[in-house]
Amino acid sequence: MAGTFVTGSDRPEKGVIKLGFMPLTDCASLVMASVLGLDEKYGIKLELRRQHSWSGMRDRLLSGELDAAHVLYGLLYGVETGIGTPATRMALLMNLSRNGQAITLSRALAAQGISDLGSLAAQLRKGTRRFTFAHTFPTGNHAMLLYYWLAAGGIDPLREVQVATVPPNQMAANLAAGHMDGFCAGEPWSTRAMLDASGFTAAASQDIWPDHPGKALGTTAAFADAHPHACRALIAAVLEAARWIDESTEHREATAEVLSSPAYVNAGRGEIAARLHGQYANGLGRYWIDPDPLQFFAGGEATFPYLSDGMWFMTQHRRWGLLREELDYAAVAARVNRVGLYREAALMARVPAPFELLRTSMLMDGKVWTGRNPDAYISSFPIHRPMPAGA
Amino acid sequence: MNPPSKPARTLRIVVINTAPAGAPACESALEAQARRNAALRIGLLESGYDIVASLPADIFLPGRIAQIQPDMIIIDSESDARDVLEHIVIATRDEPRPIVLFTDDQDPARMDAAIEAGVSAYIVAGLQAERVKPVLDVALARFRREQRLLDELSDTRRQLAERKLIERAKGVLMAKGGLSEDQAYQKLRGMAMNKKLRLADVAQRVLDVEDLLG
Repeated sequence: MAGTFVTGSDRPEKGVIKLGFMPLTDCASLVMASVLGLDEKYGIKLELRRQHSWSGMRDRLLSGELDAAHVLYGLLYGVETGIGTPATRMALLMNLSRNGQAITLSRALAAQGISDLGSLAAQLRKGTRRFTFAHTFPTGNHAMLLYYWLAAGGIDPLREVQVATVPPNQMAANLAAGHMDGFCAGEPWSTRAMLDASGFTAAASQDIWPDHPGKALGTTAAFADAHPHACRALIAAVLEAARWIDESTEHREATAEVLSSPAYVNAGRGEIAARLHGQYANGLGRYWIDPDPLQFFAGGEATFPYLSDGMWFMTQHRRWGLLREELDYAAVAARVNRVGLYREAALMARVPAPFELLRTSMLMDGKVWTGRNPDAYISSFPIHRPMPAGA
Repeated sequence: MNPPSKPARTLRIVVINTAPAGAPACESALEAQARRNAALRIGLLESGYDIVASLPADIFLPGRIAQIQPDMIIIDSESDARDVLEHIVIATRDEPRPIVLFTDDQDPARMDAAIEAGVSAYIVAGLQAERVKPVLDVALARFRREQRLLDELSDTRRQLAERKLIERAKGVLMAKGGLSEDQAYQKLRGMAMNKKLRLADVAQRVLDVEDLLG
């Protein structure tokens, strides 16, 4: 049932899409789009290519070795605005998931009675030693969420603690060895650290920002401009996969089973399944069913490329001095997030799309982000990187 | 065998050792990695480069790099530690150094595409020792050209600022001393020659005195 969009003037410009992904639970909708044959339904064939680093993923996207990729939302915008790499025009086709990341602290801290941000901040105030925290990429989601969390607790992430980028597969070992005190990363890494008792879950990312954006489906702007039909088909296929995953417990269970394969996430099915179902254990005896777990679809809400989400990352990049110039954030987001293409794909896949381009978010410190007045938002944070004179 | 031609100043290089990422570490993968690293090191040493350190890609890497201050860093393109390096790149972006990606992928088209795309790293084919030097030379030449352009830009800015200083000093001499523009300029030049100062420095002195006297 290859529909009318496969033939004629809507035919995808290329058949095979080279799609990069990282071995994380939230690559699920990309993997399932391929496994369920949803790509072929829309006239494309996904060639999934597992990557080892976000830098490598980025470089391969830029060189054309990959057509599209599972990327950190923040990383995509970092490339667009030229942080640590020459600025290159990028395109964000859709958001892939919400929630489901976590902040893990070491067992050693738990032994000292530290179980959350408040007790962590109190210990830090004592000034007995320097604390170290890790994230996955300097401009990425985990870095921005970690900094936000620390700052919300009154801790200056750039001045009062040491922050490092650590590959996720080294995080638990570093925690256990005492080289660092905590990390922010995705799944299954946070579950692993909790299960092997090197750390405990101090906060789920949805505690910092309920329904925050996650990984995105990104391409270069050049690719999106030259292949609109292929991109539309790609979005539609992934939308259907996302809907399928979130449809039922059975589908989520099946997804965990598929992801556990060495070709994808290469982890235990149980490790992946628990938090996919929203079943949380923090490693210190607390168990709960999370109302805002990792979600791929949420009725078409989780996948919509809200401009306010892209703008949020830029405000945080600016807040921390990664972005050294003021930008017209709304204009940048409007060109990066391909809302028009997304709406067409949503129509094809019969997925409802929100009317608004901006959404309102309330974060853990009570601050509300509406996507309006980004300059005021940036200036409103008491903890930030000092702006250089004349900047 | 001909003695290697030594680069004008010995380049201080740090090589980052990494375990192969992705697939579970098996004997053959580890052996291949070790062989690639050995070939790279031999190639570098034979080309007269100075491998200052061979470091593991652990949490202490940024601190060690900051201490060693190498001219260039080489890392395996498949390494998951490349994100650690990204952290260093951003932290040191005001004093950048070339990062060279090391791969035994011998596809020249892929290398060209990567360089065309403006990635701030270059690909080295790691297997044959004699191929290392030419590629590093190109990488270094390219990097140095970019740095020269940046330096030229900052020189131009400085010159512009100095010209403005001299104009202002001339203005002060004309207003306070009743001189013509040409006379004012000659006065500044005369003082610069007598006191063996730069014109811009004399101008600054004039402006300082003007500030003091109000």
